[in-house]
Amino acid sequence: MDDSTRKKWDFSAGFYDLLACGPERRWAPRKRELFGNMHGKVLFVAIGTGQDIRFFPPGRDIIGIDISPRMLAKARERAAQYPGSLELRVMDVHALEFPDHSFDQVVTSCTFCSVPDPVAGLIALRRVLKPGGGLYMFEHTGSHIFPFSLMLDVMTPIWKPIGPEMNRDTVVNVEKAGFIIQRVSNVYLDVVKTIFATAPESLQ
Amino acid sequence: MLMEQKLERRFYFIAGDVLSNAVTGMAAAWLAVLLVDTSWPMLAGMAVGMLSGMGLGLLLMPAFVGLFGAMEVMLPVMLTAMLSGMVFGMAGAMQAAALQTLLLGGGSIGILVLLLTYAVDAALRGRGW
Repeated sequence: MDDSTRKKWDFSAGFYDLLACGPERRWAPRKRELFGNMHGKVLFVAIGTGQDIRFFPPGRDIIGIDISPRMLAKARERAAQYPGSLELRVMDVHALEFPDHSFDQVVTSCTFCSVPDPVAGLIALRRVLKPGGGLYMFEHTGSHIFPFSLMLDVMTPIWKPIGPEMNRDTVVNVEKAGFIIQRVSNVYLDVVKTIFATAPESLQ
Repeated sequence: MLMEQKLERRFYFIAGDVLSNAVTGMAAAWLAVLLVDTSWPMLAGMAVGMLSGMGLGLLLMPAFVGLFGAMEVMLPVMLTAMLSGMVFGMAGAMQAAALQTLLLGGGSIGILVLLLTYAVDAALRGRGW
């Protein structure tokens, strides 16, 4: 378990919902649309305080993990309201405690801006996904457009101690981890994106 | 009913974007002329205005983010803060500015930056591969 990351998010759990209120309202339609794709056995990575649970379609079979016990303590209240199967577990994405090919789908939401080693984390996700299984991501990334790229580079070292990095190239990281990108769609500028990728059918 | 809710929500976020950028532009302009006076070289005034504007943008940002959104707020607000600080830092080194000019100029920079980001966003939205 990555202690410094856990401590960072345990600390942020105290004010996370306050800061996430605006973004969650703004992104609600796109998240509801993306999470509507959930089916089969689903792993939701970095479920945080459970803000996204309200966008889950009912009746699904989901395991939600997060590195922060404090975040999950808040998520449990929301999970109790979910009309389906939703199990929450403290877990580091770098050290997933699931057997290979356990899940039909993996879903992330603003996760890989914060995972310390994103490619290693994504490789771990590929391991637990069934061959051909879907990876659905709602992520913010760096920009290729000046001056937005500059602003994200400036903000990253300031936000990183309590939150995410803002200049990561998550689409490239997904490819590096061996996934096959099926679709990338911009939600805001070229910064907030939905990404749909699949694990290769054959083992690589 | 659903359409009404969507429109209300859309109006809320547009109003929030306008408010965030206008307030940030005005505040960054005011701070820049507070720090820089006519004894300063123009380039130094511009640099100090830019840095103070960005610092102010970072301070104001959490409140706006909590209310109106993340990247949709952060990026234009930071750009507004930087530009407004630069322009009024430079202007402050040349001549004293009236409060009315600061408010109008800073607010206008905020709205212009917002319109620019809306335009770029409209061109990029939904695109990908």
